[in-house]
Amino acid sequence: MPAVVQIRDLALGYPGLTLFRRLSLDIESGAALAVLGANGSGKSSFVKMLLGLVAPLSGRLIWPGGRPQAIGYLAQMTEFDRRFPIRVRDLVAMGAWRGFGLRCGPQSGLERAERAKQDRVAAALEAAHIPQLADQPLHTLSGGQLQRALFARVMLQDAPLILLDEPFSAVDQSTEAHLLSIIARWRGEGRAVVLVVHDLSSVLDHCDQALLLGGGDATHGAVETVLAPGRLVAQGYLSASQADWMFRRPAANTVSMVTANV
Amino acid sequence: MFELLNEMWSFAFMRRAFVATTVLSVSVAPVGAFLVLRRLALAGEAMAHAITPGVVIGFVTAGLSVTSLLVGGLIAGIGVASLAALLAAKTILRRDASLASLYLIALAAGIFILSAAGSAVPLKSFLFGSILGIDDASLILLGGVATVTLVSFAVLLRPLIVSTCDPVFFESQTRRPWLVEQGFMLLLVLNLLAAFKTLGTLMAVGLMILPATAARYWAGTITGQLALGFVFALLSCWIGLTLSYLLPETPSGPAIVLVAGGVFLLSVLLGPLGFGGRLRGPSKTKAKAETKTSAVAYTHPHGRTQ
Repeated sequence: MPAVVQIRDLALGYPGLTLFRRLSLDIESGAALAVLGANGSGKSSFVKMLLGLVAPLSGRLIWPGGRPQAIGYLAQMTEFDRRFPIRVRDLVAMGAWRGFGLRCGPQSGLERAERAKQDRVAAALEAAHIPQLADQPLHTLSGGQLQRALFARVMLQDAPLILLDEPFSAVDQSTEAHLLSIIARWRGEGRAVVLVVHDLSSVLDHCDQALLLGGGDATHGAVETVLAPGRLVAQGYLSASQADWMFRRPAANTVSMVTANV
Repeated sequence: MFELLNEMWSFAFMRRAFVATTVLSVSVAPVGAFLVLRRLALAGEAMAHAITPGVVIGFVTAGLSVTSLLVGGLIAGIGVASLAALLAAKTILRRDASLASLYLIALAAGIFILSAAGSAVPLKSFLFGSILGIDDASLILLGGVATVTLVSFAVLLRPLIVSTCDPVFFESQTRRPWLVEQGFMLLLVLNLLAAFKTLGTLMAVGLMILPATAARYWAGTITGQLALGFVFALLSCWIGLTLSYLLPETPSGPAIVLVAGGVFLLSVLLGPLGFGGRLRGPSKTKAKAETKTSAVAYTHPHGRTQ
């Protein structure tokens, strides 16, 4: 699989605090990379570095196919204004906000492009299982419905690389399962997905690679090798007793409630 | 009614005042809407005070002209806005605190200079405006600012909406997110200057904020918010001017803003997104959403008479 982006010898942190250094990895199209780590280990900074919002201390990013026009991005929901007066279909259309703005006559190319975009919005709402919410104002949505709408917006971005920062923090189990199936579909379309998660079970099932941050180090590799109990404890992701509880009893692996640093 | 209008409009200064406030309403409505949506309502007020020293120094050094108002005001406004942004970015102070500190200094300096210079401009008309003395140059300024504002909004509307609703997403999707922010602040300063002469420093923001907050109680979409904000602003101006004409001792600025305040209070009470919606029970759209997304029947919290 061709790499969407190659990370070479990367160090991330702030002046006076290095979070990790010497990280090299390729994010390939169709792959899913899980980013794990305790709070403050640099998960969100890693995602923002890929977006170009945070400059690395050293190292570089190589985009073999050129830096994509759009990078799919779903941020943590803290700064989102849920009282903003727009409808769900407008929120979804934001994914393609760069496209076209002016409304012209019915025969013009702009109008056709606008109609094509509305079709894509409808398709995305359908795929997110919320077509009935298209004309609802934003503030009437529940947390799970909003997250589905934001997934639909990512679809509108039509990006080769998709970054999701803790996308399941506010949704119930059935919504999470559906959103995971959307992620699987994106991978099938050849998009690379980077997923910041707290929940180990979703990682094991749906990602092939993992990046574990913490303890001043970054470990990258196949999910099975990175998520070894000794490593999880050493990088501060689990306490020794948590690791013991999770990995000693086979059934515990399927319980989807283990969160780091609680 | 028609007699009153006929009588009022027989005076050239009243005709000018009506034209000026109509143009002003077109111009300030979108600025006010986004001030409210971007949670900058109080920052708008602070900026209105911050441009005072620039305008005063312009008046004192270059006389009472539109050019001196524009140049002095723009220098002071852009200066304070960028200094506040710099303090917020590079020091411990947050944006609101740095802006508050700077505008207080600016306001004090403005009034101090105005008094020390023994200016011919009476303080009252400076603070509350004098809509009755609008000359051609002021009208041209108003028209120019309104044109620039509307064209800018036609270009900036989409990025403004995205950056207001979801700033983190917006930052991730554009190389120069500050362009929208700073462009909007520039439009704000321009509109404050345009409103300065008609409404004065203390009332200028009133015509931006109150119609926008009132519209917020009725409108569920951006389009509705912008259109309704304009209608409310226009109504406030026309009724306010008429009041000010009927009661000759009252200044026009506070009259206009008081009417806007009345519209706001009515909207709080009657608007579907204000108390009105609560008194009438769940609004239709909300009720529809409930039935569509869950099978649980909605029981009204205040009784079972629904």
